[in-house]
Amino acid sequence: MRTLRKIVLTVILLYGILCGAALAVMYQTPERFSRVMMHVPDVAFIVLPFKPLWFRARAGRLQVGDPAPGFSLSTQDQKTTVQLASFRTSEPVVLVFGSYT
Amino acid sequence: MAFYVVYIEEAHPIDAWQDDDNIKAGISLHSTRTLSERCSVAGTCLTRLGIAFPAVVDDLANSTERAYTAWPDRLYVIDRDGRVAYKSKPGPYGFKPEQVSQTLGRLFPKTRATMAPATSMQAEAVAAPAIR
Repeated sequence: MRTLRKIVLTVILLYGILCGAALAVMYQTPERFSRVMMHVPDVAFIVLPFKPLWFRARAGRLQVGDPAPGFSLSTQDQKTTVQLASFRTSEPVVLVFGSYT
Repeated sequence: MAFYVVYIEEAHPIDAWQDDDNIKAGISLHSTRTLSERCSVAGTCLTRLGIAFPAVVDDLANSTERAYTAWPDRLYVIDRDGRVAYKSKPGPYGFKPEQVSQTLGRLFPKTRATMAPATSMQAEAVAAPAIR
């Protein structure tokens, strides 16, 4: 019985350490996070609570009601540079962030 | 209502964290190293996914991604005063176009869409928001 308790406690401790390590990696920049993740086996996604950890780590500081950070970026055709402020005339703006991959 | 794509750094380039779904879909891209390269890839993405609304491309320092914690994908609604009206949870799990639709309907009931989104950036979020 004592041995069983030791095994259970060890598993719980290891699981906690793994979750903490995963969270710490998720707080890194996307580049660093990706460099670690490319070595992580798929089973980690089944074993670890990836989604809640991800939501926590990638929550970001920006809150609803905050001024949207301005930007000045190239258009896709590279013909001009546009600013966020120039998007907003009299209507709200939906920003869809993403990439092909 | 206006929709804009902000094309950011790749989520799963082949030189970093390649994704099986991309391999199956025949999408194989390196991390982009120049702005021209990133713009070119963005153009391919918009064409192939049939995205009809305009796009801007984040700089190589990924400054807009950092400001919005947007990687790998995320949705925002900015109101007329330039404030954040809606912020999705981080993608891919939090990328839910239907929440944008609900937010727009609640916050801006009289606003009409000027451009309907043709598709979302990710296969797991293909349900485009029904803006009316």
